[in-house]
Amino acid sequence: MENSNKLSQFTSLFPSTEIDGLSAMANSARVFLSENDFPTTRLERFKYTRLTKLSNVQFDTSAAEFISDFHKYQICPDAIAIFVVNGHVFLPETKGPTGLIIDDISFAKSLPSSSMKDVFAAMNVLHAQSGVCVQVAKNSVIDSVIEIVHVCTGSYAGFTRNHITIGENAQAKVVMTYVSEQTNECFSHVHTSIEVGKRAHFNLEKVQMESSDLFSFSDEEVWQGADSVFQINTLTLDGNLVRNDLHIQVRGEHAETHLNGMYMLNGQQHVANYTTVDHQVANCESNELYKGIMDDKSIAVFNGKVFVRQDAQKTNAFQSNANVLISDDASVNSKPELEIYADDVKCSHGSTTGQLDDEALFYLRARGISERGATQLLLTAFMSDVLDKITVPSVKEKVFEVINKRFNWELTL
Amino acid sequence: MIKIENLHASIDGKEILKGLNLEVKAGEIHAIMGPNGAGKSTLASVLAGREDYEVTAGSIDFDGTDLLELSTEDRAREGLFLAFQYPVEIPGVSNINFLRTALNEIREYKGQAQISAKEFMAMVREKSAIVELDSKLASRAVNEGFSGGEKKRNEIFQMAMLEPKLAVLDETDSGLDIDALRIVANGVNTLKSDQNATIVITHYQRLLDYIIPDFVHVLYDGRIVMTGTKELALELEEKGYDWIKESIDA
Ligand SMILES: Nc1ncnc2c1ncn2[C@@H]1O[C@H](COP(=O)(O)OP(=O)(O)O)[C@@H](O)[C@H]1O
Ligand SMILES: [Mg+2]
Repeated sequence: MENSNKLSQFTSLFPSTEIDGLSAMANSARVFLSENDFPTTRLERFKYTRLTKLSNVQFDTSAAEFISDFHKYQICPDAIAIFVVNGHVFLPETKGPTGLIIDDISFAKSLPSSSMKDVFAAMNVLHAQSGVCVQVAKNSVIDSVIEIVHVCTGSYAGFTRNHITIGENAQAKVVMTYVSEQTNECFSHVHTSIEVGKRAHFNLEKVQMESSDLFSFSDEEVWQGADSVFQINTLTLDGNLVRNDLHIQVRGEHAETHLNGMYMLNGQQHVANYTTVDHQVANCESNELYKGIMDDKSIAVFNGKVFVRQDAQKTNAFQSNANVLISDDASVNSKPELEIYADDVKCSHGSTTGQLDDEALFYLRARGISERGATQLLLTAFMSDVLDKITVPSVKEKVFEVINKRFNWELTL
Repeated sequence: MIKIENLHASIDGKEILKGLNLEVKAGEIHAIMGPNGAGKSTLASVLAGREDYEVTAGSIDFDGTDLLELSTEDRAREGLFLAFQYPVEIPGVSNINFLRTALNEIREYKGQAQISAKEFMAMVREKSAIVELDSKLASRAVNEGFSGGEKKRNEIFQMAMLEPKLAVLDETDSGLDIDALRIVANGVNTLKSDQNATIVITHYQRLLDYIIPDFVHVLYDGRIVMTGTKELALELEEKGYDWIKESIDA
């Protein structure tokens, strides 16, 4: 009872959505909300994530202070950039290349229906204020990077909804940048649905560097067609409570899926990565690699599910999560889950959490390298395979810049 | 160069070095031999400053500085080099990158300018040739996937790059075939000068056919129990260590 009150109190903060494309889902969202409570740690999906604080924060949902110099947050200088600032969309001023349509999501007539994974996903359907719709037409190859920059300021709280369609045989790269400025306990929930067409290639770099008093939730829901290649790199460089929920449905044969993640945490940060790869058809491959470095009292949660359905014969699915704790007080909850219903598959998963190798540290120091320098060499080495997956050079540069500044390191590319 | 007096060291409460004395002067090569478990690697580790070991008594003077007061990295920067008995594999850290970092940190410590990329690469070429280390290995991850012999050659390559005052080679000969042994010995001999010194730890006399020591010491039960010249090594090869054990334990 107390929880239902919490939930209705929380939802009452947010105005109803005006995105037409969501109306078909509204009913099931309402039903879901009526049947569920505000999440507690009794719920498997929130077992390690305490949300009491979130339910008590006094958010100012009447669209927080407006800032005008948000362009500086763009990571890729040559990108076609779209800004979503406290729920306001700023589209690119110049017309993009042929084959690319970027628009406010309010104009989308229909959007793919999403699954109600938790109450926040349901709330997003009912309360999303704005978002971006990116469409890459069939056979189009977009050379420029498309960057969607999400900016939160003040005590903003709100839901954003994006949709990306990569047409058949098309190719594109998107960078989703998450930043914040002068925040005073913000809440942001971003849902992005992504359709990757047959033979399409799509690469998504998700760069999270919001400040330490922000509740940042973001979901991606991906559908992959036959012979498509999809890669997402989730790079969490800052934030207070960060939850990433990635759900990939592989629906066409011979598709390739790469999901990589990196999180570098300190202070009291809490970062949770929930991933699901759902192999529904035969002859597909997925590779998942998430790595974390944890300092101070930070907490990481990794929950990676791989489903291999009965029809998904000849699936190759690999998953790995590795963590280095550089403080005695940091902790990791890592849970890989494989559910396999087909019999002719190759699947593996592994999870490791440990300290830096003392022998290696000693070896480096015995050659004259300081303990600090040796630690950094080993950390860079630990991260290098994930960092190598980043396909946009300016994103890689940014990652190093942010990490070095935050940890007072001098890691080099 | 180095003067070790009455050195006592223990690990996990167990005393391994029990009053060890050793003096090595510039320009000299000393061999330390002794049965397995005598404490040879312990001595090497204590010299390099491995924190697992506790020095409970004694002193080590290294060219005028109190070695025991220095951190591992400062010992290296002062010119101490340990060729590991078991070189560590460090995936993801390139040999080259790590050596440049080491060289530059040592230079910084000495108040010298950083080495230029060009100068560094020329040095890598020159020094890897001394131990016939394939330049491909020089750019791979530290010791990763190296054969036993390649690891040992990589140790001597690093020694050549860092130009230490005192090098301690811990069983650098073990696991080497005769060709590799010659290459490693040749490397050590090439790098030798009257400004530096070498301590060669081994339990085979074989290496000493190639690296001619000025002194041979026998380390047994945590102490140097006998000192001689290279003839002592031949005698040990012939008679084993039992006669020493007997004469000491008696
Ligand atoms: N962590 C440890 N705890 C207790 N004893 C140890 C430890 N490490 C080494 N030793 C002991 O120290 C002694 C000397 O070892 P070491 O210096 O490696 O000998 P050597 O190199 O001469 O063969 C051996 O008896 C070995 O068992
Ligand atoms: Mg030994």
